[in-house]
Amino acid sequence: MIEAEIKASKAKNNASWLLTAPALIWLMIFFAVPYLIIVIYSFLTADIYDVKFLFSLDSFRQAFQSSYLRTFFLSFKLAFMTTAICLLIGYPVAYFIARSRETIKNNLLIFIIIPFWTNLIIRIFAWRIFLSYNGVLNEALMRMNLIDQPLEILRTDLAVLIVMVYVYLPYMILPLYSVIEKMDWTLLHAAMDLGATERRAFFKVTLPLSFEGIIAGSILVFIPALGAYLIPQLVGNQRSLLVGQVITYKIKNIPRNWPMASALSLILLFVVAVLLILLYLAYKSRRRGGSARQGTDLVQRY
Amino acid sequence: MPELNRARFYKSMNLTVFTLVMVFLYIPILLLIIFSFNDAKIITSWQGFTFRYYRLLWENTAIKAAFRNTLLIAGLATLISTVLGILAALGLENKRFSGRKGILALIYVPLVIPDILMGVSLALMFNFTRVQTGMFTVLIAHVTFCLSYTVIVIQSRLEGFDRSLVEAAMDLGAKPSQVFWRVKFPLMMPGIIAAALLAFTLSIDDFIITFFTSGRGFDTLPIYVEGTIRRGTITTINSLSTIMIAFTLFLVVITKRIRKNLFGSF
Repeated sequence: MIEAEIKASKAKNNASWLLTAPALIWLMIFFAVPYLIIVIYSFLTADIYDVKFLFSLDSFRQAFQSSYLRTFFLSFKLAFMTTAICLLIGYPVAYFIARSRETIKNNLLIFIIIPFWTNLIIRIFAWRIFLSYNGVLNEALMRMNLIDQPLEILRTDLAVLIVMVYVYLPYMILPLYSVIEKMDWTLLHAAMDLGATERRAFFKVTLPLSFEGIIAGSILVFIPALGAYLIPQLVGNQRSLLVGQVITYKIKNIPRNWPMASALSLILLFVVAVLLILLYLAYKSRRRGGSARQGTDLVQRY
Repeated sequence: MPELNRARFYKSMNLTVFTLVMVFLYIPILLLIIFSFNDAKIITSWQGFTFRYYRLLWENTAIKAAFRNTLLIAGLATLISTVLGILAALGLENKRFSGRKGILALIYVPLVIPDILMGVSLALMFNFTRVQTGMFTVLIAHVTFCLSYTVIVIQSRLEGFDRSLVEAAMDLGAKPSQVFWRVKFPLMMPGIIAAALLAFTLSIDDFIITFFTSGRGFDTLPIYVEGTIRRGTITTINSLSTIMIAFTLFLVVITKRIRKNLFGSF
């Protein structure tokens, strides 16, 4: 009997291998192996059109020069600011939708999702029309006599920030919404019944309980913002390039420098990995403390 | 009652932020649509209503080719990634499967790495292996980035559904194949449709990975649009964008309909 069970579970295991094999093989060949090739290329010598198969550490040496460090710093700064602003704007919106009546909730969500489904390049292009020197915003501001001369917003870091917030905001709102929606509201009511003010209850109960959504949303915004190419390329200026642009130029433009692009990609990958691991550890230590338990503890304290 | 007033204040503050965000999200899109009917070369000031740019769009063979390429790639990438996703999700359903953790990790990792790195890595691999870039390489790349999403969406649906239905069918003597096709597969269907729609949207939307993996002469719409913006010949982009926005709305409405008709409202 036991033998038969073992046999059955073995058969099930084999079936699972068989079913997952196509996806597994696909991802091994087209996701994992290409990263090995990045590693190899980062130690090769650059050539104008291609690479020379000569070992060299030049790319990594150059990558730590000030101009590249500045690029990384700028990319970080913009990604961080984008994430912070998305969180500040996204939280009230998610909260508002989650607390709306059931019947209109889904419709409100659809309004957040439609831009998210609209083609990225089109949304960026729309902002170019809006922000350009003789664009709609400037025209409107001048008509209202708020400014005498058109503002130069397009092709500045500010434009990049605005459009990044615009593009990535839904990525922040949706995970926030899903945690706030599932939140145990009795804890909040309990806190307030026990005399906590609305603000205190928010910071001590609601916010900690939505921690998971904040982390998920921040990752979903920060990571693509860090590697952005199209947004800075279309609305930013060529003086303050971001790392995504530098990598792309090194691959696409002549003189090419594929080893350099590979080294920068690996550094970017490394940074993202470190960040995710740190967040994971923070999340775990919080879990151990138990975000839900913490909520209950707090309620008991009042 | 100051407490109540404050609660009302917070509520109205949230409403205000929500409204402002709606304005922020929709103003650029609305302007784009309005200006697609603007009878002027300079895009920004209103010169009167026209359909001229839609006609120009229709006559533009490069756009039509890019449109065909986009749909072809999106269709094929959706098909392949959804089929692989269904199989993988079924395999991952077995919680005691020995490869589960490793495979799940491999599926999740692409989601938390910037897109551009997938583009770079594939571009270098195609260079390393001397594969001619074009439709085929773009298709490979699109399946690769859609696959993680399809597996996860279908898998979460599989985890969420009522197991007792499958058990009941088995108890009532249905053959395994009948259990699968009559009970399990229909229950998976909402997940499959959601996964396919997501894959389709992601594929149509992608610029950067396509940019790295497509060769000369194989443009998808985003690649074509970026090229025209760079060259400054943007007169038809407004009308093209409007059509694509209409297409998006159409997809959203269809999705809602399918959900309502097939699976009740949720």
